Amino acid sequence: MSSLSARLLVSVSVLLLLFFGATIFVLDTAFQSAGEQARRDILDGHLMQLLAAANPNVDGALSFPPDLHEERFNTIGSGLYGELRDDNNELVWRSRSALGLEIPSVEFPELGDHAFKRESLADETPLLTLSLAVQWEFPDGELKPYVFKVAESLDSFNAQVAGFRRQLIGWFAAIALIMLLSISVLMRGLLKPLRQIETEIGEIEEGKRVSLSEKFPTELTGVARNMNLLIDNERARSDRYRYTLDNLAHSLKTPLAAMRALIRDIAAERRLQGRFNEQIDRMDEIVRYQLRKPAASVADNLVLTAVPVGKEVERLVSGLRKVYHDKQPLIETDVAAGMQFRGDTGDFLEVAGNLLDNACKWCAGRVKITVTPSTGARAIVSGMILTVDDDGPGIPEEAAEALLERGTRLDEATPGHGIGLAIVKDIARSYGGKLKIARSDLGGAKITVSIPPIPGPGKA
Amino acid sequence: MRLLVIEDDDTLRESLAEQLVEAGYAIEQAADGREGLYFALEYPVDLAIVDLGLPEMSGLDIIRQAREQGKTYPILILTARDRWEDKVDGLSAGADDYVVKPFHFEEVSARVHALLRRSGGWASSVLHAGPVVLDMSRQELKVDDALIELTSFEYKIIEYLMLRAGQVISKTELTDRLYDQDFERDSNVIEVFIGRLRKKLDPENSLNPIETLRGRGYRFAIERSEG
Repeated sequence: MSSLSARLLVSVSVLLLLFFGATIFVLDTAFQSAGEQARRDILDGHLMQLLAAANPNVDGALSFPPDLHEERFNTIGSGLYGELRDDNNELVWRSRSALGLEIPSVEFPELGDHAFKRESLADETPLLTLSLAVQWEFPDGELKPYVFKVAESLDSFNAQVAGFRRQLIGWFAAIALIMLLSISVLMRGLLKPLRQIETEIGEIEEGKRVSLSEKFPTELTGVARNMNLLIDNERARSDRYRYTLDNLAHSLKTPLAAMRALIRDIAAERRLQGRFNEQIDRMDEIVRYQLRKPAASVADNLVLTAVPVGKEVERLVSGLRKVYHDKQPLIETDVAAGMQFRGDTGDFLEVAGNLLDNACKWCAGRVKITVTPSTGARAIVSGMILTVDDDGPGIPEEAAEALLERGTRLDEATPGHGIGLAIVKDIARSYGGKLKIARSDLGGAKITVSIPPIPGPGKA
Repeated sequence: MRLLVIEDDDTLRESLAEQLVEAGYAIEQAADGREGLYFALEYPVDLAIVDLGLPEMSGLDIIRQAREQGKTYPILILTARDRWEDKVDGLSAGADDYVVKPFHFEEVSARVHALLRRSGGWASSVLHAGPVVLDMSRQELKVDDALIELTSFEYKIIEYLMLRAGQVISKTELTDRLYDQDFERDSNVIEVFIGRLRKKLDPENSLNPIETLRGRGYRFAIERSEG
């Protein structure tokens, strides 16, 4: 879980769940106990009414009038029941409402015991019961123990509690939903600048933009400014590096050229001239190879730009048509529409230039350059597959390996051969790519440079 | 043939100029970009050799401005920065070929030859026009397979006329392009040389290779046949 907003939403949801859960529990408990207390008070009243309604009859026993004041005692299945038992636990009287029902009986309680109990009927209807054991004093002075018992079905009460609970949960769920929604809306607003930075960095990486914009809230302007500074520095550094190398090349090679011109004037024997020239060639090769390091690599993500491949290939090919004016090779170009190479323009031209130049040099009359994008899973920037074919003699397999080796051990290289390929290989490698030499359908060499796509940042 | 060499390194420029003069070209030299541009725009030039890394003004700018001003002579780039980016920049700015430093003089002279030939519309360095065959790399002229002995100045004239076969070349143009700067300019000399050339090429007066167009100049009049 790497997104800030997802983190915040999850933690807020967990907190809300805990907080509302506790609140619901507390409110529910309070409601239930208050309700139960009220039930007890009512039940107590009914018991008192029974006590008041009881009268000793002529048989020396207690009896009740056929209709009690509380109608619910008289209505069958009303949910309010009363009964009277004697000290043998024998039923003496039962209210009409309890007709056909068996109210669970209890051991004879202690005299004066006033006990609430939760019991249930045979059909498991929950009951709240209240029993009271009394010593009834008859007019003749005789004392007889009796148990008065009232019971009320808890069905309606439970239904009430459940209804209350349902309402409680419903309301809280609605509130929680509204809170989460408003938090996520709020967060979207708050995180917008961060998201914008992310988008803009992505655009820089894709080469659509050169620096971050300046429109960020105060807390982020510092970050944006420093980021821009870093990018500028990085660009300046890479420009400076290239400039230094160019100057170095210029300042080394012009004297070499002058020396070569001068030794012609040495009226010495030709053999000496040849050896001088050999040394100059070696120095030239070293300067050329060492100073033509790739300008960029995949690591310099923020410095890279999007090179319009079609346009650059066209420029290169029309240049080469001038250079090979006499040979007039047929140069076919097949570049995928809108193809872009993410890297340094110089590096791209170096790769395509060296390969095309070699192909034009060796071909019998046909050269073909093909550039297609390569994509991969999660790639934000597609890679490139560049192939140059020619119909020349081709490169035999052993020679291909030797050619690719060259450059790593430059001092052993024969001047004038393969240095272009070594440079191409170096550039391909600095972009994480590969160089392959094979035989072409045209009959000559087929050289393929494949640069892999750049995967997106850590969305694994 | 008048060549312009723009190169800031004195040793290199002077030695290059010396060798080109030896090879039979007339040379203008410029040591920095500003002077080079002036020469490139104002002097009669058949080909320019331009170093890309120049003080005052870059070689690229000189090439661009020369092309903008309608100069069509071939331009050869000398470059120490042998990155393809620079080569492509130079070629798309209007240059026609490049040589990478440190070069062998033979390389430069071969490119110069080829460019001059191309600018005259010839495809090979051996120019054929009927019975007349001129081999630029050997600096030899043959008529009906017989080698004609020429002085170096006579050769320069016939080469210039043949390269531009069919075009009318004025006397001034010939003096401008063929004499070195400090050479005494006298148009009568040209007439004398043309007369000698006609005798050597066409002793029987049947071929008439060089026409005179009164008041306008000369024209190599035999149709190109190949090359």
